[in-house]
Order: sequence, then structure tokens, then C-alpha cells
Amino acid sequence: MRRPAVSTVFCITALILAGCQRNDSARAESRPVLPQDTAGKSKLEPGALATVATAPVTEWKGPGKKPFEVTVRTVDPVSSTSRKFGSVTLRTSLRARTPDIAQYPCTSCHLGRAIVMADERVKDAHQNIKPLHPKQTGAACSTCHASDNVELLALKSGERATLDHTYRLCAQCHFSQAEDWASGAHGKRLDGWQGRRVVLGCAECHDPHKPAIEQRIPFRAPLLERPRGQDK
Amino acid sequence: MSDFNDDMNDSDDGTMLQKRVDRRRALGILLGGMAAGTQAVSACSPLSAATDEKRELKHLEWQEFIQKHYRRMNESERAETIARLERLAKLRHGEDVTIATTDAQPGVVFGYAFNISKCKGYRSCVEACINENNLDRNADTQYIRIFEMPDGVVDLDHADPTYDHEVPAAGHFYLGTQCFQCANPPCVPVCPVGATWQEPDGIVVIDYNWCVGCRMCMSACPYWARRFNWSAPEVPLEQVNTNQHYLGNRARKKGVVEKCTFCIHRTRAGRLPACAEACPTGARVFGNLLDPDSEIRWVLANKKIFRLKEDLGTEPRFWYFSD
Repeated sequence: MRRPAVSTVFCITALILAGCQRNDSARAESRPVLPQDTAGKSKLEPGALATVATAPVTEWKGPGKKPFEVTVRTVDPVSSTSRKFGSVTLRTSLRARTPDIAQYPCTSCHLGRAIVMADERVKDAHQNIKPLHPKQTGAACSTCHASDNVELLALKSGERATLDHTYRLCAQCHFSQAEDWASGAHGKRLDGWQGRRVVLGCAECHDPHKPAIEQRIPFRAPLLERPRGQDK
Repeated sequence: MSDFNDDMNDSDDGTMLQKRVDRRRALGILLGGMAAGTQAVSACSPLSAATDEKRELKHLEWQEFIQKHYRRMNESERAETIARLERLAKLRHGEDVTIATTDAQPGVVFGYAFNISKCKGYRSCVEACINENNLDRNADTQYIRIFEMPDGVVDLDHADPTYDHEVPAAGHFYLGTQCFQCANPPCVPVCPVGATWQEPDGIVVIDYNWCVGCRMCMSACPYWARRFNWSAPEVPLEQVNTNQHYLGNRARKKGVVEKCTFCIHRTRAGRLPACAEACPTGARVFGNLLDPDSEIRWVLANKKIFRLKEDLGTEPRFWYFSD
């Protein structure tokens, strides 16, 4: 749920926009149009997590802006030995994250060009982001972000996913967590135990750029008790 | 206890019970006459509104004193009781509360699973529980206890529930306890007055107006899930949760036992318990054990699970699991 780079990116974007007033109309035309998520059309591999249908959700009053509904299908029972419940289909709702980009459009700087790592602006605009994750691949931007359109996520299959569907990207490595998430053992359910299943997506809790959980002070300790044998 | 249940099941022809009800009714009539008399006096004397309220409070307190057991009430008696309790909350504390009497949903038995890999010991659940259930701020009553233990062994004898440092601490894990709503609850049969019982959805509840405060249930519980009100609970007016249930978070009195009810006022309306909703790590899974597609059933079928003191045969409906 943390968005560390948000304010910085916004400020810098505002500065850049202020400096380039005359190019605004040209920029608007050249801004690439976000393609719809294509997952529903692609053929499903056994064991793949997939978005099958999207539909607007109107009644959810969660913390987000415009939630959408996905159907997340868990791992194919035939190809998996650990499954007991067969093909569980949970209608799952996630918060839509794509509308957030409108506030901080990546394309105001990137303009569909390939990311140039050496550019001074990379340091300025993304100074809150330390390349920590994923360690195994050297934590380059292009490991997860599509080079040709940074508002999309690049899947290993060559497909593109919007930021609403972060679980598709994360599940490529964290497949056991993804299975737990799709089934309800991992992640956070909102709203209630009954009715529509509204859960948080991966990046709502985990900062993809800095996944380690930091320590913090807990809520106060109970006053009356002491551990056994330790009279204070 | 079994006699008591029999009484309740066939209240129409139980002669002993009839006598008891008669005595109770007679008391009520007597008090009603007293109240009518005082009202007549107040009608023809120029008394202030404050005095009237005092008199009303006295009257309602007497009515509360002679009220029936919750499970013996019919619909109109329930409504009357709720109206009285809501009015009493207003007169005593100035609170505008809503007290529900929602019954258990058919086909629902609640279950809870706690992920000991995910819990980081933030105690957000404890905070939410205190606020949601109007727990006594003065005595610092808490239903939930989070234990800090060194990695590798579940040893609650040497666990620390009073840790007060940054969490998660390296080399430690956290395990939370609360009322497990046992399927075979040892606290229920020991109650000498039948003030505590198990509802059809598995929640063990207490009628705070019937409890005599003997604390037998507290000594019977092997998990120390019940709390006693040594003094009248104190909750600041602005912090009172006005969404209440008769069997749940309504105002308790001095000298009665209380406990976690899986947030009965929320869960019977389809919502999650406050602890599960507040948990920032998603360590708490709550759902209907009778629904094969529920998350809790998936956890029970696919994860390594355990319960505390399983050998006692209490059958807690609260499981622990790890990733």
C-alpha cells in the first residue's frame, strides 16, 4: 500500500510539464493508448493464473477508487498433486490501480521510448526507488516494466499486463504464494467472509521495489500480565 | 445443567418451571404497581426532568433485574428487553446504541485459522478488538493475547505476551490466542445457572443479565479465554461502538464474565471479525466451515495445521497453520 515515489514523481512531472507548455498538444497525441489486458483471449496453460472476465463493481466501498472484478482460477487439479478441492473458481475483486497512473503519468517523461538507465533524470525522478528486487536478475527496471511502455508490466511469456494484474507478474517467481493467494491462505480479504470475495492484490501490501518488512513498534502490551516466573 | 435445558425446551408443561415463572411474574406485577404509583405521584407534582429520568432509570433497573433468560424470551419480550437496554444505555451513559438480536444464519458454522508464519506481532488485532467490543479501558481487558516465542518450538509456558519492542524480532515468531469457540466447550456445562451456551453457528455466548459471576467457566476454560469484570467497565463516550449485539459487545456490568464472540454483531451480518479485518499481514483467515469453497476449508485441507491442547478433546474451531 506504500507508494514511495509518488510525491517525487508528481513534483518532477509537474515541473517538466510547466517547462514544456507549448508541447502539450503534441504530447497528448503521442501518448500511447493503454491496450486492454489481453489475458482473457490467450489460451490458458495448465496451472496458470488467469484473468477470465472483467466487469465493473459498483457496490464495493473499499479504500480504492474504481475496483474491478476478476475471476481467478487456481491451479488445475489434474496437473497438481497437492490439490483437494478440484477446480475452485473464486470470484475475486481487486482494487484497480491503473487509474492512479493518471495522477503521475509515466508517459510524460518516457513517451514510449526505451528506458535509458544512465539518464540523470532516472536518479531524480525515481530517487526513492532502490533497485533491490529481484536480486537474482540484477533488479533492472526492465525485469518487470515493459521497455516500450512503462505503464505496463512485461510478463516472461511476452504478454503485457496492466498494473491491475500485478499477480500475473509476481506469480512467475512466487508461484506457491500465488496459489495461496488465489485460494485464500495468503493475502488480505476485505469486506466480509460472505458474498463477494474482495482481496488485496500483491502490490497493495508488498512494495515491489523493497519487499523486506520493516520492524515497527507494536500496539501497547497488556498491563496486567507478566511472563510466568518473571515477577517484575 | 441438563435439568435446566429440559426446563427450557418444554416450558409449557414443566411444573417446576411454571412455579418459577409465576414467582418471577408476581415480582414483576408487584414492581409494576410500584412504578405506576410513582408515575402517578410524578404526574401531579412539579418535578424536574432530571428527577423523572432518575425515576425512570430506577424503574428500568428493576425491570432489568427481573428479566427472563435470553433463550426463554419470545419475540415481543426480546424487543421489549432491547428497547429497555437501549434506553438504559442512554440514561446511564448518554450513549445512543443499537442492540441487535440477530440469530445464527442457517448452514453456517464459523471457523478461524491463524497463520503463525505471517503474524508479525503488531497487535493491531488487539487494538481493533478493544475498540470494537467496548472492552474495559480501566482494567485494560483484552480478549486477544499475542505470544512471542523463539523459532522452532511452540512452548506457551515460556512465551512472552508482554513483549514491548520493535517487531518482528529476529529469530522469533508470534502466536495469537483468543476464545476458540470449542465444539465441545468445557465452560458451558459448568455454569450453574445456564448463563452461557453454544449457538448453532458455534459461537459460545453469555447472557450478561443472567450471569451470577461465580467464574466457574473461567476455571473450566483450559485456554484462559474468559475475562471477569471486577468493576463496571469504563469506555469513554466518544469511543463507544454503538453497533452492538445482545450476546456480544453491549455494555457489561460489574461482576459478570465476558469473552470473545468472533464479533457476533459483525459476523452474523456477513462481515469479518474486527481482528481479522484489522490484521495488516493477512495472518487471520475466517469463514464458514460448512462451505466447501470457503477459504478456511482450503486452509484446513491444504496446510499443515494444529490446535492447542488437542488432547483435551475440546475441539477448538480455531486452527494454526504455517506457510
